[in-house]
Amino acid sequence: MEQLELLKHADKINELLARYGVKFGIYKNNVFKEQLFPFDSIPRIIGHEEFSHLEKGLKQRVMALNLFLKDIYGKKQIVKDGIVPEDFIFASSGYMAECEGVVPAKDIYSHISGIDLVKGKDGNWYILEDNLRVPSGASYPMIARDLCRRSSPGTFHNYRLEDNRNYADLLRRAMDYVNPGGHTVILTPGRYNAAYFEHSYLAEKTGAHLATGSELVAENDILYYISSDGTRERVGAVYRRISDEYLDPMVFNPESLIGIPHIYEVFRKGNVALINAPGNGVADDKGIYYFVPKMIQYYLDEEPILCNAPTYLPFYEEDMKYVLSHFDDLVLKDVAEAGGYGVVFGSSMTKQQKQDFIGLLQSEPRRFIAQEVIDFQDLDIVDHGEIVPRKADLRAFVVMAEEPFVWKSGLTRFSRNTDSFIVNSSQGGGFKDTWVLYQ
Amino acid sequence: MAVLHFEYKMEIQYEEHVGRCYFTIKCIPRENARQHLLGTELSILPETAYSQGEDSFGNRQIYGCETEPHKRFVFQSTGDVEILQADYEETEDEMTGLFRVPHGKCVPSPGLSEYYRSQNFSSCKNHFEICMELMHRLYQDFSYVPGITQVGTTAAEAWELGRGVCQDYAHIYITLLRMAGIPARYVCGLIIGEGASHAWAEALCGGRWVAFDPTNDCQVLDHYIKLGHGRDAADCAINRGLMWNGGAQSQKISVLVEKRE
Repeated sequence: MEQLELLKHADKINELLARYGVKFGIYKNNVFKEQLFPFDSIPRIIGHEEFSHLEKGLKQRVMALNLFLKDIYGKKQIVKDGIVPEDFIFASSGYMAECEGVVPAKDIYSHISGIDLVKGKDGNWYILEDNLRVPSGASYPMIARDLCRRSSPGTFHNYRLEDNRNYADLLRRAMDYVNPGGHTVILTPGRYNAAYFEHSYLAEKTGAHLATGSELVAENDILYYISSDGTRERVGAVYRRISDEYLDPMVFNPESLIGIPHIYEVFRKGNVALINAPGNGVADDKGIYYFVPKMIQYYLDEEPILCNAPTYLPFYEEDMKYVLSHFDDLVLKDVAEAGGYGVVFGSSMTKQQKQDFIGLLQSEPRRFIAQEVIDFQDLDIVDHGEIVPRKADLRAFVVMAEEPFVWKSGLTRFSRNTDSFIVNSSQGGGFKDTWVLYQ
Repeated sequence: MAVLHFEYKMEIQYEEHVGRCYFTIKCIPRENARQHLLGTELSILPETAYSQGEDSFGNRQIYGCETEPHKRFVFQSTGDVEILQADYEETEDEMTGLFRVPHGKCVPSPGLSEYYRSQNFSSCKNHFEICMELMHRLYQDFSYVPGITQVGTTAAEAWELGRGVCQDYAHIYITLLRMAGIPARYVCGLIIGEGASHAWAEALCGGRWVAFDPTNDCQVLDHYIKLGHGRDAADCAINRGLMWNGGAQSQKISVLVEKRE
């Protein structure tokens, strides 16, 4: 077992990850706390054929989501044709009226999509959610692979696996493809951000400038990077790692100190590419998730290759009935929340909680979705020297340039508690490398 | 129909020098089937380069950054507008649904919901009649008193106070119309005889945006010049600024609108 050889190095690799700053900063009760993002050295291994299937399905999904975004901020044909109810668009917290009529370069809205999947005990993969705003996490399997190769080169001689160090090339290709001319910048809120390690790592690997808002200035519809000696150089693409609301205090949240005044106007005029485009939240809303298979049929005239977890929308009367009569079998999610927050299991509620929740559900049906609890496969992890099974998901990355590319790796996250289904790093989970085998 | 001449001037006085100030100004009337621009001029002091464009609601905007240290910032927009049809606009976009959901300063509160439920629209045959009925009722139940509310006051807050200015009338009116399922939008503009900018509302009636002025309990006539529209006042604010230093500031606004013979 070559894997065991790698296991011997687990502590050393975690030590190196800590030294490189692979940490997660989280706010708990308003206190900023940095915690390590624990790495488990047993990789998730996905075979060639299985991954090819995922690849096809993911490309299809991301193509449809991009077409949906273009439609929503343009003609809204899918709403007029009655496929998606208007309420799910305009009342969504991810919908931004400011994006109406603004078409990003090459019609690409989601340059980097992070699609979360799980593998059920039935062997099928299910999509759990789409992340089209600022999906993070690619840097972790990148650096972990690098460290593993160094500490246990033998392991990698014996497996025929796809190299995952090409992520930076894919990212650079996507950024260059939409850049109308000028430098490429990764915009970070700064070192206190949860994903700061990733920002700096990706900047280094792609050769982009790492900048904060104060190093960029919008003037006469052009964006400039101000270098330390005061010279200005034109910027053509910004991979921004700050959310829409903070991007431009003149258009969005006026209190934002990390954004750039008038950067949105530069974007509107087509003089800078924003990666990902603002307004993408309307397509990765948990309420819209329900409609993604319908979007694939509508825009591509194809059957979805990958399934959603069976989902009910209490907004529809029929679904509400089902939800009320199968309450204990379902997981309920607040569409406005992310990061594993706002997720409750019907079976874990007390009688009183259940009653209150149903009251809330009936007064705000659009706010929630209900899903069948998928019994997903466990993966082995090492916990205090013992191998134990834990729930895990996979965040796959799809990078869009001339065509969509699926990165042949991904971030596998696992829950550190027995029986917990919540794998989010903000909830204390760990991660694994994801190996994709070639033929 | 009428040709109107307008002058809008805003003067901001700062206590201390402002080192740097970003501005976005929306004070050039929209060009559409309702009104045709015969010529406009814009000046900014201290003089500075600026860009022009449209926001996502189609409002004209000019924007830039004043980098000269200054204690006084002035902008003035003047011009002539031909009003082609007074009280309505054709719908030219796909965004009508957007104006039906609560947003920003126009979000229902228990007080507003209760008021809405106390209305009786049984005699109203269509959206237009509901708009008229609600406008008459609001005119009776809300008082025009300046100085009570502020730029940031929401419809719900103004309703609790029971008094306010045109912006508050428009916000409350829009919130109520949306509760009735009627898409409604906020309009910022200029009228004859008012020393400041005015606000009213447009509601979607029979496939057209029909304009109502709840502050004056009337339909909009040909002495109204529309500058911009949005979901609430913030979407079409005449001036949005972001400045470094400056200390306390005071604003002076003057507006003149007159009929050209």
